[in-house]
Amino acid sequence: MAPTLLEEVLPPQLTPVAGVRAALERRRARPGGRAYAVLRWGGAALFAAVVVGLVISLADGSSQAFAHSGLGLLWSGTWDPAHLRYGAGVFVLGTLVTTLVAIVLAVPIGVGTAAFLSEFAPRWIAAPLSVLVDLIAAVPSIVVGLWGLLVLSPVFARHVEPFFKKIPVLEWFFHGPALGPSMLLAGVVLAVMILPTVVALSRTALSAVPVADREAARALGGTKWQVVRSAVIPGGRTGIEAAVTLAMGRALGETIAVAMVIGNLYTAPHSLLAPGATLGSAIINTFAEATPGLDRSAVIALALVLLVITALVNAGGQLLLRSRMRARTA
Amino acid sequence: MSSSLGHALALPAPDIAAARRELVRQTARRSLTRRRAASRAIVVVCGLAVAVSLAPLAALATYTIARGMHALSVSFLTHAPTPPGIPGGGISNAIVGSAIVVGLATAMAVPTGMAVALFLAERRGPVADAIRFAADVLTGVPSIAIGIFAYAVLVEPFNHYSGLAGSFALAVLMLPIIIRSNEAAMGAVPRDLWEAGLALGARRARVVRSVVLRGSLPGLVTGNLLAIARAVGETAPVLVTIFGSTLFTASPLGPLAAMPLTIYTDGTQPYPTAQQIAWGTALVLLAFVLVLSIVARVVAGRLNRRTR
Repeated sequence: MAPTLLEEVLPPQLTPVAGVRAALERRRARPGGRAYAVLRWGGAALFAAVVVGLVISLADGSSQAFAHSGLGLLWSGTWDPAHLRYGAGVFVLGTLVTTLVAIVLAVPIGVGTAAFLSEFAPRWIAAPLSVLVDLIAAVPSIVVGLWGLLVLSPVFARHVEPFFKKIPVLEWFFHGPALGPSMLLAGVVLAVMILPTVVALSRTALSAVPVADREAARALGGTKWQVVRSAVIPGGRTGIEAAVTLAMGRALGETIAVAMVIGNLYTAPHSLLAPGATLGSAIINTFAEATPGLDRSAVIALALVLLVITALVNAGGQLLLRSRMRARTA
Repeated sequence: MSSSLGHALALPAPDIAAARRELVRQTARRSLTRRRAASRAIVVVCGLAVAVSLAPLAALATYTIARGMHALSVSFLTHAPTPPGIPGGGISNAIVGSAIVVGLATAMAVPTGMAVALFLAERRGPVADAIRFAADVLTGVPSIAIGIFAYAVLVEPFNHYSGLAGSFALAVLMLPIIIRSNEAAMGAVPRDLWEAGLALGARRARVVRSVVLRGSLPGLVTGNLLAIARAVGETAPVLVTIFGSTLFTASPLGPLAAMPLTIYTDGTQPYPTAQQIAWGTALVLLAFVLVLSIVARVVAGRLNRRTR
């Protein structure tokens, strides 16, 4: 190969290739590259250690309680630390019932709101309302709980709960004194808390449906609602299901707001108007008075049970999402 | 045979064709009217859903503002609480406590979270998949479970509550939010730019600094601010780790006050003066969280425009 013009003129150590090679070697020798790798891997390792440590420490902390009560801890309905009887049954039931109430209330309203914002409303209405919903999602749960306890609870005791007791078929679910704090109120407060999640995520899912799908349905003569029903909702269905799963996870794990409005009664509730407890609220309320040792271990066991339930729900949601996606691409 | 076929093929008389056309037209019109009415009804129902979903939250906000304004004053923000029964007193201890706990949590979570996000943005493969999965799982873990974890690791062995344990709990809570939002922001930087940087001979650390971090800055700022906003309002994990305090303390090694805890303890008391303090604190907390969320969005929008 003929020497280039530069190489004829310059001494060899100053040609571009040699210069670049020297610069590269100088840089490699600098410690920065190594430090960067350490940073990345170190961060990842630290994070992995935290996640593994979370599971191990809860399992380890609760082992004493499980050794004492056996697996009956999971479903036994008696929680009586004074007589060393620990059963999470009432709390598990309370968690599931309040979450169910919240989902039943929040999902239709939330998806309807999302459909309105994404499909029906003109942009100048939809845009500010969407921002508003996103901001509302940031309201801390303690503020919602305070409002539920001091404002909503008296209204429920005076108006809402007596009203439900009068409806013939529903009275089976709604009987007993109207106190205010109850499983129903906890479910309603949870619904208020998960609504922004349902709306924001469902709206994103619906907006992501291709415009061509909508135009095709429109071209076949569909009305606005028919376009939504036949093209937009089927297209955004996976996203809506993901939104519901996420909202459900939030409702299952919510602690402080529920503890403020559920009434904290550790016996099996016989009606939606009865006070009750959830896993989260029971942890908060038993925690401070639990003595070190078996008592504390039982509280940690409650946290483990809650962790497992939410993990199962989330994993179920993930699997559902993945199978749907696979079915669609196949 | 042929005559009957010819009969069948014979065109109908013009008046029959017109009648059929009219029938089709009327059926179509009726169908359209019916479908339009149904559509309009559904739109109205969805509009009502908007009203129903916004009403409680609007009520909550106005109520908090109305009740909180009564409590709010300069001395409310700058004085420590008085003993029960003595009027006056403020929440300076809770504000300082929240700032310390959340500040420490941010200092722990943001560097770690960004390092993990970089790891995920740069690497493919089973390790990255496992980390991403762990982040998704951690997002769904209830905050109280994380609080109990921090309690088991940092409170029980030392036999006293501490602000540091609360910071750790909040940091763990913030990590998955930071990781996923920062990874998304970094992933949005075009692959070509990474490669262009490497092709210019820059080391990976340099590419990350000058190309990736700069390109994804709006997303990073937004993600981290939202994580902080989330952490400030968390109550359950803080309650089981820093426990709360009515005194003015500023050492992260001992129990601390925090705004959510003040709301919880004062709000659950039957006394109007205590509830007043709870509403005032709720207003301060709400204002802080909302301002942070709005700033996050505005900053993101501004920077987005500039880089474009």
